[in-house]
Amino acid sequence: MVERISPLGAAFRPGRHGNLTAGPGVQLAEVTPPAIVEAAAWPGQKEALARAVAGATGLALSALPNAGAVGEQATAFSIGPHRFLVTGGDDLTARLTEAVPLETGTLTDLSHGRIALRVAGPRAEWVLSKLFAIDFAAAAFPVAEGRATAHHDVLAQIQRTGPDRFDLFVFRSLARAFWESLCAASEEAGYEVVR
Amino acid sequence: MSPRRAASTGLVDRSQALRFTFDGRTYSGHPGDTLASALLANGITLVGRSFKYHRPRGIFTAGVDEPNALVTVLSGDGREPNIPATQIELYEGLEVESQNRFPSLEYDLGALGQLAGPLLSAGFYYKTFMGPVFGPLKGTRFWMICEHAIRRAAGLGRAGYEKDPARYEEMNAFCDVLVVGAGPAGLMAAEAAAKAGRRVILAEQEPKAGGSALWSGEMIGTRPAHQWAQAMAEKLAATENVRFLPRTTVWGYYDGNTLAALERVADRPSGTAKGLPRLRLWNIRAGKVVLATGSLERPVVFPGNDRPGVMLAGAAERYARQYGVLPGERIAVFTNNDGAYRAAAALRKAGAGVVAIVDVRPEISDAARALAQEAGVEPLLGHAVTGTAGKRLTRITIQRFDAATGRVSGDGRPVDVDCLAVSGGWSPTIHLASQAGGKPVWDEALHAFLPPSPMQPWVGAGAFAGAKTTVEALSTGRDAGLAAAGKKPSRARLPAVTAPALDPAPAPVLEIKAAGKAFVDLQNDVTAEDVRLAHREGFISVEHLKRYTTLGMATDQGKTSNLPGLAIMADARGLPIPEVGTTRFRPPFSPVSIGALAADRHRHFKPDRLTPMHDWHVGHGARMMEAGLWHRPMIYGQPGETVEQAYIREAAAVRRSVGICDVSTLGKIAVKGPDAAEFLDRVYTNTFSTLPIGKARYGLMLREDGIVLDDGTTWRLGAHDFLMTTTTANAGKVMQHLEYFLDAVWPHLKVHVTSVTDQWAGAAVAGPDARRVLEACVTGTGVDNVALPFMGIVHGRIAGAPVMICRLSFSGELAYEVYCGAGHGAHVWEALMDAGEPFAITPYGMEALGALRIEKGHVTGAEIDGRTTARDLYLDGMLSKKKPFIGSALMDRESLIDKNRLRLVGIVSLDGQPLGGGAHVVEKGSLDELGASIGHITAACYSPALERHIGLALVKGGKSRHGTRAFVSDPLRKRFGPVEIVSHHFYDPEGRRMHG
Amino acid sequence: MLIPCPHCGPRDVQEFSYQGDATRKRPDPASTDVHAWHAYVYDRPNPAGPHREYWQHIGGCRAHIVVERDTLSHEVLGAAFASDLSNQGGTRP
Repeated sequence: MVERISPLGAAFRPGRHGNLTAGPGVQLAEVTPPAIVEAAAWPGQKEALARAVAGATGLALSALPNAGAVGEQATAFSIGPHRFLVTGGDDLTARLTEAVPLETGTLTDLSHGRIALRVAGPRAEWVLSKLFAIDFAAAAFPVAEGRATAHHDVLAQIQRTGPDRFDLFVFRSLARAFWESLCAASEEAGYEVVR
Repeated sequence: MSPRRAASTGLVDRSQALRFTFDGRTYSGHPGDTLASALLANGITLVGRSFKYHRPRGIFTAGVDEPNALVTVLSGDGREPNIPATQIELYEGLEVESQNRFPSLEYDLGALGQLAGPLLSAGFYYKTFMGPVFGPLKGTRFWMICEHAIRRAAGLGRAGYEKDPARYEEMNAFCDVLVVGAGPAGLMAAEAAAKAGRRVILAEQEPKAGGSALWSGEMIGTRPAHQWAQAMAEKLAATENVRFLPRTTVWGYYDGNTLAALERVADRPSGTAKGLPRLRLWNIRAGKVVLATGSLERPVVFPGNDRPGVMLAGAAERYARQYGVLPGERIAVFTNNDGAYRAAAALRKAGAGVVAIVDVRPEISDAARALAQEAGVEPLLGHAVTGTAGKRLTRITIQRFDAATGRVSGDGRPVDVDCLAVSGGWSPTIHLASQAGGKPVWDEALHAFLPPSPMQPWVGAGAFAGAKTTVEALSTGRDAGLAAAGKKPSRARLPAVTAPALDPAPAPVLEIKAAGKAFVDLQNDVTAEDVRLAHREGFISVEHLKRYTTLGMATDQGKTSNLPGLAIMADARGLPIPEVGTTRFRPPFSPVSIGALAADRHRHFKPDRLTPMHDWHVGHGARMMEAGLWHRPMIYGQPGETVEQAYIREAAAVRRSVGICDVSTLGKIAVKGPDAAEFLDRVYTNTFSTLPIGKARYGLMLREDGIVLDDGTTWRLGAHDFLMTTTTANAGKVMQHLEYFLDAVWPHLKVHVTSVTDQWAGAAVAGPDARRVLEACVTGTGVDNVALPFMGIVHGRIAGAPVMICRLSFSGELAYEVYCGAGHGAHVWEALMDAGEPFAITPYGMEALGALRIEKGHVTGAEIDGRTTARDLYLDGMLSKKKPFIGSALMDRESLIDKNRLRLVGIVSLDGQPLGGGAHVVEKGSLDELGASIGHITAACYSPALERHIGLALVKGGKSRHGTRAFVSDPLRKRFGPVEIVSHHFYDPEGRRMHG
Repeated sequence: MLIPCPHCGPRDVQEFSYQGDATRKRPDPASTDVHAWHAYVYDRPNPAGPHREYWQHIGGCRAHIVVERDTLSHEVLGAAFASDLSNQGGTRP
């Protein structure tokens, strides 16, 4: 098995940076899972697709807009009216291919095409609010839900995977530029880059 | 006689000293001071020279409305001009200088311009320079010459040239209720909304909450008003659902209840924590807005009203009470309303001498009379100030005045003073409400415009909404907060307010007509006479008045001059003020630094888009170039090589042995679903439903109007699974095009499109030895002519990584595109380099790629320029006659099949000189004489295969000109020379090499 | 301006790409009526008042949304997925 090479390159600098007077306010990490798959349903089939994804991953996934689910091995969240972004282990694609028939929808492997960046910590909402014009407050953006939004040219699909933890899926080619932006935005709060 | 510190400290911390410099001299102030209060405390009243006449000017206000006291803040090599001294919080080491003076503030040569005063009336520049010029100056650049001198003489501060080292940031915020203004009304509103459980943002432009409570001298409950305000603000700041933003000016009210605010986070060099921005731009999306922006005092206009020492009465009161500074020792008050009497009493109490209260009104309220007594002076009713004297104010002249007729009478009586506190009443600060839409409403009693009825979900409170007392401010504030929270008004008791019972209505007198220059707009040096001149010359609409005289322009946006200007125009027209109207306020409410608007976007506007092999390219000497957001190798230069030498070497290697090029940037779109083939038949001009699995086909797309949109190959990976490739430049556009048709036109088609550009790394391996390179490294599949024929696709592995290989050629050579997961891109690239080593595999960049494709006559964005049709590019063979497709209905319109259209040809330079893209093709002419263009060159290069300079061109008549001579005409690059028009298929037109 | 995306909720206009008049009707693909095609491609009513427009949520869920918007006040009167309102005219789907 050939290792995937991270696109962050030398921009990934483990350790503490920025204003550390109150300790690092956020931890930043690359958390790209082994498999990322976009599952898309035909009109009227999103619930069937949610059930199929749930069956293949063990997640309790709803078909509602912005809905998502977070599990030990897999996550999924809605990224569009008919679409989910599903993440999991190496066997995810095979499991999904078995679970999602052509009558329900299609699957597209994005395991190399998207990079997952994690922003966690007490100042995560503050840092992300600098970059995206969406409401990160817990009441407006509950745990497990997803959002599709953009920072200028960088499309980001974001899932809240914990009370103060967000996983951002960005295009691989833009990941390094976005990572640098993320680090810059985190300087005020102080940040720690963790492996 | 000069201003000084009062005995009482106000809200300034005198236990600590802060040093600052003004025009190079060091002074001292205290925390809590503004630069303005500290200057006054040091006895400085002359702080600037005026815009047009260079008249000496002082501090006129104590807040955001300051028109006069603009200074330049220095920081290292940087300079930020035109900052009101009233808006600069004093800090240790602050360095400022005054503006618009030469050689010094005290002795300014520009002031000689005053002698030319009568010449510099409104419209002076238009009349003198912009109109038709007659006589000897006709046709000259007289204005251009004068402009330089005038711009130097007139004007404000100058900006620096150094890079601004400060950091700027942007922040997005959401709330249920945004309260603008933390005066008594705003504090009550925020508290009420917060208690109702709403998410609240409370924004206050000053460093401290309180608004008028900081200097009103009133009591709220049992405490001085400023203590009440501070306690309220502290309580709110500690409330979980409240975000209190001091030093934050809400400056724009936009659609969708989106408001823009500017927070001065660390507007000082010292003590700045790392990563802290200097300014933060807030984009606030509010459910409801409570506008509690208070009111601004306006002056009465009279001759000589601009001398240093003349200031607004409320400002004088504020300096005394909030800052513990006496703006003068012998102070006169000039007013049309009761409010200034409170100022007089406050100044007296702080230790100043109040030598006169001059009131235009014949009668005043008992409360005012009582305050006059506290001030220790008998008010001169029915009088007005009609003149002043002194570079710094030393004397005023008082005359009888009849408010009913506006006439001045009797002899002038001089009174020696060093400060004159003026009040013309108060106007609600309706700027944000006006920005939100609607027409302001005139209130006769207050002689002011009240906010319009809301066009967006906002609620008004306090003086903004016309509240006349602090009690009213508290109650309207609480009700506004409750209303914004969706609750009914409360009947609970409000804190009691101890305040004099002043009459809120001013006399409708805003100008005293007497001899001498009377300034309406201090910042732009617009006089009352200028307004009348504008009227006489027909500029009677307020919008014209503003543009003709510049009244109300520049950094203060006429906060002190709007209403007096309107009143003078209304008087000239013989109309009531509301019929003259008011200009619509536009953002920003107060100046916003450009840095804050641009924010520190860390190049976010244009993020670097990198391929998986980027670091390899950079590490191997590639000179990168930008193609849209992408960074792509232009050449892999060797020491001593020019760009041209490098690309010729690279292109020649492809023709001779083998080259490798990073094509990861090509747009790639997964097209999947039972109707995918049908969809592609509709999208492409040619047919894809007949494409076998495991094969690729070149396709052409048109726009709805019949013009070519893009081209590329699409690969059939399965019955319902296609991989479409697009040009790098059009990837986004094509994706949107497909999404539009699937969403808006044919939603019943079962097709999904997903961008997989980033999923795949791509390497083109091209040249006679390409197959040998693959044979040396590909496992799991054959790559011979049988296993992998032209346009065939195979799956295998390279160095353990799964790859997908399609045999297709852009260069005209035997070529393959090798795709693998992007995370394996660098790994596979290096394996290909290793496998190619025996064949001297040469990485090639965009320049060589361009030369190879020109030699082959392949079109790209230079030819697919949004104007060309398939026929223009001789691609009509790809237009299916068997089915409709996007663009088929309109592509045969008369003008699109005209025989004189520009069509694709090849061009060969006959004089051995290079050709340039964009040059015209002409039939005759010379370097100096432009011939009529018959077309233009779209791309050009030196062809290593043909050993000539060649190009592609779009030329009238196209093919019919093959074999004819013409000229390249490129006057910008001083190029004119003979060319031959030939077929665009320069090299191997039969395609033997790529099929080999 | 905020646009209420039916999937994502209200979002800033910066996330959207204007895709033109949504009152246009695309003729049957096989139609050769040049006037009908011309009207679809070029004729735009540009009303002062309520208007239906396509906005693609390009910086979000990427759906095309038909937004009814007052061109005088920018007030958004309604929004729906374009896929629920095909603009395909004619009989052949």
